[in-house]
Amino acid sequence: MTGALVVARRELTGLFMAPFTWIVLLVVLLLNGLLFNSYLVRSGGNITATLNASMSEGSFWVWMVFLPALLSMRLIAEESRNGTLEYLLTAPVGDLAVVVGKFLAATLFLGLVWTSALVYAGALDYVGGSPDWPAIIGTWVGTLLVSGLFVSIGMLASTFTATPLLAAFLSMVACVLWLTLPWLALLALSNVLPYFAETGAELKALSERAETVVGSMDAIGHFQRSFQVGVIDSAEVIFFFAWTGLFLFLTARSLEARRWRG
Amino acid sequence: MIEVAHLTRRYGSATAVDDLSFEVAKGEVVGFLGPNGAGKTTTMRILAGYLPATRAERLLVAGHDVMRDSMAVRRAIGYLPESVPLYPELRVEEMMRFQGRLHRMSRQDLRTRIGEVLDRVGVLDRRKQLVGTLSRGLKQRVGLAVALLPDPEVLILDEPTSGLDPIQRGEVRNLIAALSSEHTVLLSSHILAEIEAMAPRVIIIHEGQKVADGSQDQIIQRLGASGSGGGAGHVLVEAAAPAEASAMAELMKSLPGVETVTLGDRVGIHHSFRVSGEGDLREDIGALAMTQGWALRELTWKRPTLEQIFTRLVIGDVAPVLSEGASSAPAPVAVPNASNAPAPVTSGLELSMPQGAKKPLPLGTPGTAQPKTIYSLNPFDRGASRDLSKPVSVDPVPPAAPKLDPLDPEGGDA
Repeated sequence: MTGALVVARRELTGLFMAPFTWIVLLVVLLLNGLLFNSYLVRSGGNITATLNASMSEGSFWVWMVFLPALLSMRLIAEESRNGTLEYLLTAPVGDLAVVVGKFLAATLFLGLVWTSALVYAGALDYVGGSPDWPAIIGTWVGTLLVSGLFVSIGMLASTFTATPLLAAFLSMVACVLWLTLPWLALLALSNVLPYFAETGAELKALSERAETVVGSMDAIGHFQRSFQVGVIDSAEVIFFFAWTGLFLFLTARSLEARRWRG
Repeated sequence: MIEVAHLTRRYGSATAVDDLSFEVAKGEVVGFLGPNGAGKTTTMRILAGYLPATRAERLLVAGHDVMRDSMAVRRAIGYLPESVPLYPELRVEEMMRFQGRLHRMSRQDLRTRIGEVLDRVGVLDRRKQLVGTLSRGLKQRVGLAVALLPDPEVLILDEPTSGLDPIQRGEVRNLIAALSSEHTVLLSSHILAEIEAMAPRVIIIHEGQKVADGSQDQIIQRLGASGSGGGAGHVLVEAAAPAEASAMAELMKSLPGVETVTLGDRVGIHHSFRVSGEGDLREDIGALAMTQGWALRELTWKRPTLEQIFTRLVIGDVAPVLSEGASSAPAPVAVPNASNAPAPVTSGLELSMPQGAKKPLPLGTPGTAQPKTIYSLNPFDRGASRDLSKPVSVDPVPPAAPKLDPLDPEGGDA
């Protein structure tokens, strides 16, 4: 664990030293502010509605796909290109510590970015609005968890290639698929399932089962059901932890596979 | 300190390291020599715990099993890959601190040690500079500092001098020479001059297999002698005589022990020859020249350099000695082979070094193994009683000589 923290610390230092990071931060905060403003105008000054919108509209999920991918693309691919991966993988820390350290750094950084929403809410509270604090904090926590999940997917993509942009592209495709999977799957299943069911009741049972399976991957659903309404449900937290853990584990395995490939 | 037994590593169907075995004792400096793609880097990466071995009977570094106890090995070694991986966005000091933290050094330790090590490699004044803005030579030193920081028992340096200019190479070489007193060092290079200057013991690998192992002298002696013809040592003769060059060659060939005499170029009135045969034939040829009255300008015993042996081992018997081709080129015979090319650079460096930093070089340094010794250069000096084994000091008063003209057709024969 110490190793992971050391790696995370270096990763954060590196992030804040890179001009790229500041440009991304600037663009994100600027666009976020503009979006927030437009939501505020649209809702006629309703603060809670505005905050809700800024955390659930399409633009929010675009950020969620885009930012983790941009951040995680360099994590391994760039090190692999610079040769520093060889340094890191021969340092006295395990592969998993390296992976976890990098993951922590990127997720913490994203957490910092999303803290801007808390700042907006705080500012609105100060000038006399009354934001729904539990929902806002819940959403912030949920956002952090989704970010973590997507960072872990991005890291896995980052181990497949030494080209950071390709890694980012892979990870975005994977995340978009992940987010749209429930709809895609149900759409596909609703066309296929009737062939396997003879009666209406059977069809219903089958669809229900399919929905359970698909629902276990439905990140948006899990996010909206609890965090966004201000409830931090341990089951939902575990949902994100489990998937994130799986991808981190796969990332470590993929790194090990690279060693074998040489 | 390092024990490798029957190490094999494959990449898919390609075999990078093929049943390699060697040992490095504590405090030894061993140079890995081989052409690009010989398996040097792969072997080092395996020892450093970066790559797993496909098969190995025993792989021990500093007493720890590389395969089973990788973390202990990684703590005990300082590994510097060829690419000198450093984070460009960090400052030198931050990079060092990162390394120290990875090695779990205490804060106190770290503070004193960073200063010590940076001072040692001579980049203390750059400690605040961004790594990305350092020149290649400075980066190499910082890389070395990073590897040295935890004071490892074993240093594994992959091509520590590649990509450096001659002066930087000399600096890094001196640095490594200074380190060898405290650490066991395994280093690699495909540049012979480097290996010859840095490592007393050389392991030559080719296509993943060990082809030679020993001190440079041992390798030169064993492999140099085993080769017939040009592989072993030869004597360079440059002399002027009234006789035809071919006649001179015939005379030399008639000497006992001489196998071949190759006629070189004519330089002014002097002819050059390459005489090879059993052992050092200088005295015989010198005596012959004396009786024939040749004006001898050069008489040099040349042993094959490590480079020639290396080339022979790698290329096989196709080109046993590089000097074969080069000596027939219109170059003066005193520069008999291509292997001498790096030598001027090296010796130039040695001269430019402060005397204190200069270490006694091991035998078989670049260039020829033996210094050039001229035995008889004065056609007026015919003193038959002179001790042939001692170089001649200039004799201002020539003894009464029967003939003064060295080119007189009759002069040589008495």
